[in-house]
Amino acid sequence: MHMKQIFGPPLAMAGALLAASAASAQECPEGYPSGPVEFVVAYAAGGGTDAIARTLAAEIEESQGWTVPVSNKPGAGGGVMMTGLLGAKPDGLTVGVGSTNTVTLDPYANQGMPFTWESFDYPATAMSVTFGLVALEDAPYDTLEEFIEYAREKGKATISTSAMALEIAVERIGEHYGVNLVPIPGNGASDALQSALGGHVDATIQGSQHIQQIEAGKMKQLSTLVEERVSYAPDTKTTFESGVNVTAGAYVLVVLPKGVDPAIQSCLETVFAEAIESDAYNTLMENLDAVPANLGKDKTLEFIKKQAAEYQDAFAKRGN
Amino acid sequence: MLDLTTIIAGIGDAFTLTNLIYILLGVMLGQIVGAIPGLSILMALAIAIPLTYSLDTLTAISFLISINKGGTVGGAVPSILLNTPGTPESAATALDGYPMAKKGQGGKAMKYSLYYSVFGDISSDIVLITVSVPLAAVALKMGPIEITALMILAFTVISGLVGASLIKGLMSVALGFLLASVGIDPALGSARFTFGYIELLDGMPLAAMAVGMLAVTEIFLRFSEFATAPRGSNLDRAQSFEPGEQSVTFKEVWANRFVALRAFAIGTVIGAIPGLGSTTAGFLSYSISKQAAKDPESFGTGDPRGIAASEAANSAVVGANLIPLLTLGIPGNIAAALLVSAFIIHGVQPGPLLFERQGQLIYGLFGAMLVANFANLLVGQFGMRFWSMVVSAPARVVYSGALLLCVTGMYFAGGGVFGLVIMLGSAVVGYIMRLTGFSTIAFIVAFVLTPQLERSINQTILLSDGDPMELLQHPIAIVLLLASVCAVYFLGPWKKKDPGVAGA
Repeated sequence: MHMKQIFGPPLAMAGALLAASAASAQECPEGYPSGPVEFVVAYAAGGGTDAIARTLAAEIEESQGWTVPVSNKPGAGGGVMMTGLLGAKPDGLTVGVGSTNTVTLDPYANQGMPFTWESFDYPATAMSVTFGLVALEDAPYDTLEEFIEYAREKGKATISTSAMALEIAVERIGEHYGVNLVPIPGNGASDALQSALGGHVDATIQGSQHIQQIEAGKMKQLSTLVEERVSYAPDTKTTFESGVNVTAGAYVLVVLPKGVDPAIQSCLETVFAEAIESDAYNTLMENLDAVPANLGKDKTLEFIKKQAAEYQDAFAKRGN
Repeated sequence: MLDLTTIIAGIGDAFTLTNLIYILLGVMLGQIVGAIPGLSILMALAIAIPLTYSLDTLTAISFLISINKGGTVGGAVPSILLNTPGTPESAATALDGYPMAKKGQGGKAMKYSLYYSVFGDISSDIVLITVSVPLAAVALKMGPIEITALMILAFTVISGLVGASLIKGLMSVALGFLLASVGIDPALGSARFTFGYIELLDGMPLAAMAVGMLAVTEIFLRFSEFATAPRGSNLDRAQSFEPGEQSVTFKEVWANRFVALRAFAIGTVIGAIPGLGSTTAGFLSYSISKQAAKDPESFGTGDPRGIAASEAANSAVVGANLIPLLTLGIPGNIAAALLVSAFIIHGVQPGPLLFERQGQLIYGLFGAMLVANFANLLVGQFGMRFWSMVVSAPARVVYSGALLLCVTGMYFAGGGVFGLVIMLGSAVVGYIMRLTGFSTIAFIVAFVLTPQLERSINQTILLSDGDPMELLQHPIAIVLLLASVCAVYFLGPWKKKDPGVAGA
């Protein structure tokens, strides 16, 4: 949708921004981009990833002077966009915006996926989803350890989830402690949250919707399922700190088809890194209760490789 | 609780000129998009959200909610005039709206539909504004076990829609079950019946199937009529209007107050429970009204009670859907989820603190919703004249145009060629079903309800370890299951009191 530009920032700013863009522009090879750089979002218009892609696109249009149209190819949890990207020309003019789970997990969950994590290049990540294990405020447990004790006494504990990756995380935590933790798959994060708020399950794993519930004093975070503690629950330990080697981290991911000229790749790496640091993007992150997180090209690949191996292993154990 | 000044200031915010203009624009856009088969309100909302980035928060949200409200009114128009529902939620309106239009009372049917729709909308908005907090608390009590029982009840109640032959009706329902099982298995996460098409991992697309089976099938039937009609037969106009039979008096509207009230109550309850939706509400209300009536056989022949039951219920869902969103931060359906992203982009976090932190904004939104209802009434009055003119064109032109809109709309909104193939395939299946007396409505309703039923059965089994005694701790579920047994007993085919709505 180009209509957005009608309401866009005043043109007067463009001059100043052109001067600022000179620094990063030299990193890009001569003649790139030769046309519009299209962002293809793996999720429907109007969602969180869509807002991220559109904000970055607007930022890059301003700072680089490129034309960056945004389109949406939702479906199959990002799989439709990734499949489309497989057939795209590797000229750096088609850039996917999706999630790490689509490449680290989905190829092992569904045999039919025509791609693996090795089918693409990843110049950047844009945001980290900080999953947390949360329960109602009046639940008789405050930490992961107490929750496990509760599950041991009761024989089982139920945790509502919204994605295959989280079901696997629940199963692996249960395996680690040797207790029966049962993931209850919900129809999306809202459905999972509702089951927890209504007291129909013992806890839930949430990516963002729980933050407001914690602030309102309705829920408490038992454990943080990413490498570092989070600002909205600073006293809650991570799974690592509890000695459980299980995370359920996911990133909003920038994806390129395999075979893009390395010079263009490093150009895009710089351009994205700058856009992710911009004020406009940081404002959006604040609104989303999230923090910008760009791992950069090498660390992104490292993360994806490690997580893909974990999920491959998990599915091999499950036997499907 | 909020103090009165915040409430008054909030509602006052809704009445700025900019807001009023955007509300009017939103309602117009919604009614037009809703009235065009093949275009969906969700698509309109998704496209509109980026357009609202630069607007003031209240203006942006009011605009979006006006589109949503306009859509529920507009959706009834093609159902009534052409029997081509653009969305599954307005399909129940076609059951009585179209027969009425065929009698030459298309204008009257549209008026009934508009008035009952606005009634359902206003009433559920008032419920939202006044008692949303306790209602949300009750809705939270509906866990997987209760939802399973509710879905079972829904299936027994809509048995009134299966048509003249019970066997054929059940076969349609079974086909709906089968096609709803395409996609990712909610229990195992593995792919079912996708045959290697990754597009099918999300299941058969509802919009494409519903438009194909309900609207395009009707268009095909008309085309075959055109082809076989003798020369000079009365096929020149898509819809004719008998002069003097188009007005609706207050007395006529008032006569169906109980049907409309019950429909509004059903729509509000279904809307307040996250995850269900307006299609379920519309059909449930229609079936219940039909089966509760002394003369159920008059339903399906152009009975205004049918229109009231369907429209008041599906419109009541729009306001009620905001109950879980505003009180708990849980979006009840996809339209509400889109509103969430609009809220977030404008820096407003939906959640339990929303009223406390953004009281003025929320009351501004309430004010805007009430204004939008009246805008709906106003725009609807003008719209009716316009649509009446459109369908006064030769039928061959109108139905060809409708097919063109279905095809282009589905191509752009429904995922390109894939959506088109599904739509046309469903139309062919629907055509055969209609010719052989199978109910396409029963098929679509089963298709809409099945995923929710399957998911909650799966959750129920996991939660209870498959132990039926667990049910004893869920009194709401027991009541709903007993109600289903009663529904089968009292409404079942052995009562044989009505010929049904065959092939509707």
